Amino acid sequence: MSNLTDVKNMSNAQKLRTFPGNRIVWHAVIVGVVWLLLLLLNNNIDPLYSSYLALVAMYATAMFGMTILVGFSGQVSLGNGALMAVGGYVFALTSMNWQTVPIFGWEWNAVWSMVFAGLGGILIGGIVGGLAARLKGPYLAGLTLGLAVGVPAITNRFPELLGGENGLMLTVPYPAGGYAASEIAGGAESGAETSDPNSDAGSDAGAAAGEDQYAELDLSEFDQGVDASTDPNATPATEDLLTEGDLLTLDDFSNGGDLGLESADPAVEPSVDPSVDAGLEPGQDPSGITDSFDTGFIIERWQASMAIAVACLVAFAALNLIRGRQGRVWKAVRDDPIAAAVVGISPSGSKVSAFVVSSLFAALAGAVFAQILSFVGPGAFSLGLSLSLLVGIVLGGRSSLLGAILGALIIVWLPELVDGLAGDRGWPDQITNNAPNLLYGLLVVAVVLAAPGGITGTVRSWIDKSRGKSRSPLS
Amino acid sequence: MTNFIDFLLGGFSNGAVIALMALALVMVWRSTRMVNFAQVGQAMFTTYIALTVQQSTGNWLLALAVAMGAGLILGIVVFFLVIRPVKNSDTTGAIIATFGVLIALQAGAGMVWGGDPEGFIPPVSNAGLEFAGRIWPVSLYDILVWVVTAALVIGLTLLFTKTSLGLSMRASAFNPEVARLSGVRVNRMLITGWAIAGATGAVGGVLIAPVSTISPNSFDILLVFAFTAAVIGGLDSLVGAVTFGIGTGLVISLVSGYTDASNAPVVALVLLALNLLLKPDGVFSHHGSRSV
Amino acid sequence: MLLIENLSVSYGAVQALKDVSIEVPHGSVTAVIGANGAGKSTLMRTLAGLEKPQSGQVTFNGEVISGRKPEDIVRMGIALVPEGRSTIPELTVEDNLKLGGMWRSHAQRNASLSRVYTLFPVLSERKSMRADTLSGGERQQLAIGRALMTGPQVLLLDEPSLGLAPLIVTQILELVARMAWDSGLAVLLVEQNATVALRIARSGVVLNLGEVVKSGPAAEIASDEELRHAYLGY
Repeated sequence: MSNLTDVKNMSNAQKLRTFPGNRIVWHAVIVGVVWLLLLLLNNNIDPLYSSYLALVAMYATAMFGMTILVGFSGQVSLGNGALMAVGGYVFALTSMNWQTVPIFGWEWNAVWSMVFAGLGGILIGGIVGGLAARLKGPYLAGLTLGLAVGVPAITNRFPELLGGENGLMLTVPYPAGGYAASEIAGGAESGAETSDPNSDAGSDAGAAAGEDQYAELDLSEFDQGVDASTDPNATPATEDLLTEGDLLTLDDFSNGGDLGLESADPAVEPSVDPSVDAGLEPGQDPSGITDSFDTGFIIERWQASMAIAVACLVAFAALNLIRGRQGRVWKAVRDDPIAAAVVGISPSGSKVSAFVVSSLFAALAGAVFAQILSFVGPGAFSLGLSLSLLVGIVLGGRSSLLGAILGALIIVWLPELVDGLAGDRGWPDQITNNAPNLLYGLLVVAVVLAAPGGITGTVRSWIDKSRGKSRSPLS
Repeated sequence: MTNFIDFLLGGFSNGAVIALMALALVMVWRSTRMVNFAQVGQAMFTTYIALTVQQSTGNWLLALAVAMGAGLILGIVVFFLVIRPVKNSDTTGAIIATFGVLIALQAGAGMVWGGDPEGFIPPVSNAGLEFAGRIWPVSLYDILVWVVTAALVIGLTLLFTKTSLGLSMRASAFNPEVARLSGVRVNRMLITGWAIAGATGAVGGVLIAPVSTISPNSFDILLVFAFTAAVIGGLDSLVGAVTFGIGTGLVISLVSGYTDASNAPVVALVLLALNLLLKPDGVFSHHGSRSV
Repeated sequence: MLLIENLSVSYGAVQALKDVSIEVPHGSVTAVIGANGAGKSTLMRTLAGLEKPQSGQVTFNGEVISGRKPEDIVRMGIALVPEGRSTIPELTVEDNLKLGGMWRSHAQRNASLSRVYTLFPVLSERKSMRADTLSGGERQQLAIGRALMTGPQVLLLDEPSLGLAPLIVTQILELVARMAWDSGLAVLLVEQNATVALRIARSGVVLNLGEVVKSGPAAEIASDEELRHAYLGY
């Protein structure tokens, strides 16, 4: 994938330690350059790839938090998928209910919801982290496992507020007038391309496919014109299209043992419910539809640029944290809490801070995920999502941000690869759908046993070896 | 009040299965100081094997025996392929490795048996028994579950307290160095621990399958319940695992009965969090009282 | 006879034992003395198989034991009582004893058990109590008893006096010396408390920074004042 070149640019950041001068400025420059390159890339690739790019950026955002928590602070958490859910739901609720409420005199916009999502993450992360700081390895993993299973279940507790099993649809705050246009432009330009890989490649890791279909279904719905948006019961033609799409979606997801989205079927299903969409749409100015038709707004590109923006900001924060004093504090506590305490570092304070930072990142990633899916629901934030975050950083390399980026790439790309192979060789769905996870599981075990540093750790130790230095792969 | 009694009675079967899974977790913890997060994954896999056996032979006892054997073998395989090589490296790695095994097992089961939930036909009736003029929330099958669980727990207790093997296993768990210096082949004891844990988990899986359904992910929640029970029990106490396994089953049954089944994981989470907060060593930890 | 020849052990860059050679004959106590960090415990752990030697070898009655696993070495008749009264507190006194020599026949084990109970009557009185309810001296007796349960021909005793009252130390060590004499046991005793150790030992070895600086009859070492000042610090 072409993103790899950008990822390589990121690795320059690793060389920075030898570079004199103001670290923060250099971090800003590097992140800025990567950001620019990614935006350039995003504008010049097929919208289908933009949707993958959006997912990679979203996963990377969450995995930066995992790098800090698992890699630097040594706490194995399965709860970050649940913390993403916190961010996603806060985003959904604030954007649904507060759109008309000015905040401190400012008109509402998506950034506000992101801020609230982040605050929600910090709050919950602080609570869980406070508890977690008292726990050792397996206890923490078990508690956060309970979080990963329990938090999505909470949505059922408050069906009125959180939408229960069906989740919540949300109006994604696209740039002015862009929402309706996106369906035409995005649909017309990429509809044909996006539908093909979906139907012949069958199912895959999900959100990409789900989201493509979603765009497609929106299109079909829009084709029915104002009828659909005003009459929830729609016309028979719409019904047919929706049912078809519905089946396709279910088929795509039901067997997918894929980590994050295996149970995402409820996540996508409601998105085809015309009444929900219709209810939200009248808010849009119909005249804007034609106005922005020519602006060429492409939903996938917008999603990717939004996700990239968040990922870059988070990467900048993470870089400064882990390469500054805090990073050394986390490592010191991870390696020897008693020695750290002796030199005046509070082990529990350090653990809580790692938890809070990673929760913040997870919540922001969850808010991005909500915007990509236009939806939040328990199925989208399942235990599988948490596991995929863990798998990603272990494979990529749990002690570097670059590892998180590689991990995000692997999580998005491997299912595509398997799909491609399956398409060529005509594997049955049952095999295809489970192959990525089987690979993940086996790879995780293999990496832990043979190369605990993951890709980045192993490459770095090779480089060090060739230079005659020796270093622990996890340092 | 009738409701209360009904919910309690209905919770015993689930509690028994949670107890078995918690026992498996505890046995692994005692032998290698490690939580095997793949434990219910192994149980899921062996339950599928049992399902296949039952579907082709119709013999439930045979299915149970095959599942136990498979669980024994799977425990040994996981120990040798994953745990033994990783044991001396970091604990973080060990925890992650067991999750890797879980993911692989679930995907493997999905490949072989598909992702759709399948039913497991109980060997005896699953309908509530009629007694004293009313129908009770207890079926013949529930009674079978209790009997099998009780037999297994008694058997394990005898094994651990009355035999040389049991003494060697306990010593290996408590202090491997002293055990080795006494001539105990500690490594074999660790493998035995994993094997027995695998078989115990397998029994739990076969027992729960007819009550719920079986799919690659259907036991995930059981892992949370079993972990909760094992931790509250002190993670190294067999008595604690059984007591709190059944207790967790009862609490869940009450919560599900009075409110909604979807609250059960949240309640388990709260129980776990409270316990870890108030009594991190667990109620039955051997530091406090004698454990078997 | 236990024969240690040119044994070297290192932990990474730290050389814990260097070219150590000691003979441990049957029927008597051989004492290894020296200050903290002299390598005494490393020596014992290596003999028991808990550490791997870097070079040199240990033979027992002509058979090489160095490099073997601890559970095999103990089955050959070499039992270590490690430093710090190593019993298993969670088990009862009797279970602690039964743990030793699980591979032996029922009759052998029963014979050993009654012998241990005769030697240490207090253990017999407390046999169904948990080991962590015992006093320090009783736990040391239990630790020695567990080692005796393996039916050893060589007994390796690492710092049995640690944390015990002098009277109890004397009692325990005199018992050990009598056992060596009575049943032809070869005893290697590591002690920081040189006076007591040398009093019951027939021969002694002084270790300093991993090397043998002096070996010979115990009485000779005990009377060597220069040696005492230089290496034993009194």
